[in-house]
Amino acid sequence: MKRNVVICLLIALVLGGSLFAAGTAEQKPTGTQEMTVLEFWTWRPEDVDFYASQIAKFEAANPDITVVQTAHKNTEYNTILSASLSGGSGPDVFQGRAYGGLATFADSGFLEPLEQWMPELKNYSATALLGATSPTDGKIYGSPAVSQTVFMFYNKAIYKELGLSIPKTWNELIANFEAAEKAGYIGLGNGAKDGWTLETMLGGMGAGFYGGTEFYNAVVKGDKNFQDPAFITMVEKMKSLTKYMPDMYMGIGYEDMRSNFINELSPHLIAGSYEAAFFRSQNPDLDFDIFAVPGEKASDPAYVSVYADMNFAMNANSTKKDASIKFLKFLSSKEFGKAMVTDMKMVTSVPGVDASADPFIARVLELQKNATPYLFLVGFRYNQPTGSSLWQAAAQGIMAGTLTPAAAAKQIQDGIASYYKPFQK
Amino acid sequence: MITDFRYRGASLAKKLFITLMIAIMLIYVVLIIYPLFNMVISSFKTNRAILSKPFALPDSLDFKNFKTVWIDKGFSRYFLNSIFVTGVAMAFVILFGSMAAYGIARYTYKANTLVYMVFLSGIMLPLKAAIIPLFLLIKKMGLINSQLSIIMIFMAMGIPSTVFILSGFMKSIPIELEYAARIDGCNDFSIYRRIVMPMVAPAIALVTIYNSVPIWNDFFFPLIFLQSNAIKTLPVGLSTFFGQHSTNWSLLFTGLTIAILPMLILYLFMSKYFIKGMTAGAVK
Amino acid sequence: MDHDCLQQGTAMNQRTLIKTSWILLFITPALLVVGVFILLPLFMTLFNSLFSWNQLIRNEFIGLENFRRLLTMYPYSERFLNALQNNGTWFISTMLIQNSLGLLLGYLLSRNIPGAQAFKRIFFIPVLFSIVAVGFLWGIYLKPTGLLNNFLDLIGLDNLKRAWLGAEQLATPSLIMVNIWRWVGFPTLVFLAAIDGVPQECLEAAYLEGVSEWKLFWKIIFPLIIPAITIITVLTVIGSLNVFEQVYTMTGLDGAPNYSTDTIGTLFYRTAFGSVDAGSPEIGIGSAIGLIIYLLTFAISLVSIFFTKRKEVQL
Repeated sequence: MKRNVVICLLIALVLGGSLFAAGTAEQKPTGTQEMTVLEFWTWRPEDVDFYASQIAKFEAANPDITVVQTAHKNTEYNTILSASLSGGSGPDVFQGRAYGGLATFADSGFLEPLEQWMPELKNYSATALLGATSPTDGKIYGSPAVSQTVFMFYNKAIYKELGLSIPKTWNELIANFEAAEKAGYIGLGNGAKDGWTLETMLGGMGAGFYGGTEFYNAVVKGDKNFQDPAFITMVEKMKSLTKYMPDMYMGIGYEDMRSNFINELSPHLIAGSYEAAFFRSQNPDLDFDIFAVPGEKASDPAYVSVYADMNFAMNANSTKKDASIKFLKFLSSKEFGKAMVTDMKMVTSVPGVDASADPFIARVLELQKNATPYLFLVGFRYNQPTGSSLWQAAAQGIMAGTLTPAAAAKQIQDGIASYYKPFQK
Repeated sequence: MITDFRYRGASLAKKLFITLMIAIMLIYVVLIIYPLFNMVISSFKTNRAILSKPFALPDSLDFKNFKTVWIDKGFSRYFLNSIFVTGVAMAFVILFGSMAAYGIARYTYKANTLVYMVFLSGIMLPLKAAIIPLFLLIKKMGLINSQLSIIMIFMAMGIPSTVFILSGFMKSIPIELEYAARIDGCNDFSIYRRIVMPMVAPAIALVTIYNSVPIWNDFFFPLIFLQSNAIKTLPVGLSTFFGQHSTNWSLLFTGLTIAILPMLILYLFMSKYFIKGMTAGAVK
Repeated sequence: MDHDCLQQGTAMNQRTLIKTSWILLFITPALLVVGVFILLPLFMTLFNSLFSWNQLIRNEFIGLENFRRLLTMYPYSERFLNALQNNGTWFISTMLIQNSLGLLLGYLLSRNIPGAQAFKRIFFIPVLFSIVAVGFLWGIYLKPTGLLNNFLDLIGLDNLKRAWLGAEQLATPSLIMVNIWRWVGFPTLVFLAAIDGVPQECLEAAYLEGVSEWKLFWKIIFPLIIPAITIITVLTVIGSLNVFEQVYTMTGLDGAPNYSTDTIGTLFYRTAFGSVDAGSPEIGIGSAIGLIIYLLTFAISLVSIFFTKRKEVQL
């Protein structure tokens, strides 16, 4: 008898559901005039409102085009895009990754080369274009959107309280960590549970020790490798910072380390420029600024690592290329670039945008005078295993003390050499 | 029943054993209730409070997060869509799955083992692994952006383990019961329906809940196959709270609290069948 | 005589025919759904392991080259072996801890230990949690300033405080413990249902004869619930070789720290699909990993089915 109850319930559920589904069936647009509908995908669910407002502007200027935005979960974005594009469908215009992440789709023939559609791309900086170019055929497959910069965030209020100033040498930085520890703060808020935050850490503090752009160019050519003494010195310096990191830093993940900074448990955090908007939204009272981690001597350049982060790309199989280009051009316009700066606190790659209106972005641009490519991401994120994934795992071993810097360097070198031609000679 | 573990009349050793076991089970109960409680209270907190003081009680019992999630974020619709998709998929999982289990467990024939193996091999690898060919298949069938696509996929995901578990239970039902029914003039289907199914009711309850949970919580397939907002399911709604660099934990926990309710209700309803016991009522 | 035989023959044929159509009626719908939506795409994927790939485009047939690269070439070979070891740890711990605990709890509940009615209703609740909630909540319980360490402080064992999910030696065991927390209700209920199926008269008779508790369990109940043990063992084999979600949500796709929680599931996923950090997809090698998991799971499942079948007794 009870079974019948279950069956009845299920039937009722199904019937109810189907009635409901019928009731909510997609309503066809009633406009008789021909409307071009563009599918636009992003991996930034947190920016849905921003894009909605920008799309509204675009649609007002182009009344015959409607843009439908879908924001996918960041971690599943590549998989969803791969499946859809391999299946011959997918969005018309979408946010593409940079470097290897874009090259995957470009080399598979899913992306439209953009130079002939958008000649203005040649005005972009070489750094931005590198992230949008496939190394296989040298063509540009994306319109560069933003770049990210990695450096040290510091808490101005705590600096004032402790009488500290921006360090000009490595030893001064260490002295600042000591002073913060003595006052009961965590010297450096970073943790090591999430491997990718250790790549950020490398980008923020490492370049001065391994030798910045010069080293980058040498390893990319294969003239130097990751077992270079300078690189190993850098690894040792990084390891020496664990003294100032939180208790049991191996268990401190990304959210925890940001909490340390937002909740003023630590005056320092090595992180990327993308954090600024989040810090402000979580703690509007937080008085923070940024500096580049200094080298050993005050005369050494204080590097920040820079990488292209996002490109707007177009589906090669799109049937609405003209409309797509209109939208792409809008996403590459100065107005849109400006909105990226003021609303999103992101460093736009669109040339000629005046970013000085936002003091944070202005400061990022100031630090970029000693910019160097974000080592593993820019140079070694094309094939598996990427330099990034090798570094992230090895760095955890280093920080935990289960791997010596030399062994870690060998692990990275051998991993990359398994496919990277310049390392195989 | 005399075989029950009871304090009355038990030896000292047995009393100690019972006490120890109850203590262990009580600890486990606490370990279950606390996270549940933690999840519910988090839905009343702000993002910052969740991250900095995760174990503290909320400042007030303000239902505005629920209102935001249910109305502004469209969860009322996602919720009904999920109930529809899960309900239909599960109804067929149980129907087709139990029929196939019956066809394997209650007959002897040459291909018997082979059929069993085919179903067994369906649980060996998560279907996520085959997403690209699956996408092509669904596209060829014209099911992209239709709830039928994920209903079929969920059915296919649920059936193999259902067949596997139910056939195990059906095998242990004495064959004599079937002979008796045949003499009474029952055909094969009514033996399945009136004799075998009632006897495996606890196992049915078990596979129902075992398969409903992953289907109810799956966001991967709906994310890929459902594009228009009107047909999306609850986990897809939840996935929009995950940003690249900032997750809206506050709304996420509100959504998770809403999402666990139907499963809790379904489970409490199904748990009657475990409590009743397997043989009671059915045999005699 | 001849005529009679013939008639009997047709009757036999007819009965076989009827039986066959009944069997077909029962199994076809399920077989169709599973065949089209699981086996077909899965075999298409596994087939991919025999080809070379340029990003997402399939190139030429290369036989077993992908398998050779996976098993002999650094760093794939090392990653694969490491992941396989971790899966082994998952399997052994799940069998030893989760399933014996499940058997014990299921048995206690079937014998109506005080509170059994309430426990039966509660023990399965963790299974109902979405993995997202499990990952986040257990993440904050196990973090350095989390509940577990606070608790150790409280009872004066502060020298046992650890970064549970961040230490190479502890991360996998911590994940396994969380998984046991989540799933132990399942074997409990399967065993409960199976033990409840053992005729009550058998138990009562044995009980009245004064058979010891130990003997009652091992000599009477255990042999009768072998089918349930087969089910749980096979599902444990499948589950342990496919561990993915728990690792993905709690320590990430790379199996941090330093690959110590990496499993074949995470290795497969990041190889076949790539990721922002892991780089471009290697569909060929990824599919080869998939095929190996598939065959391995199948082989071990068959072994355990036949192994337990030998011990099965018919009621």
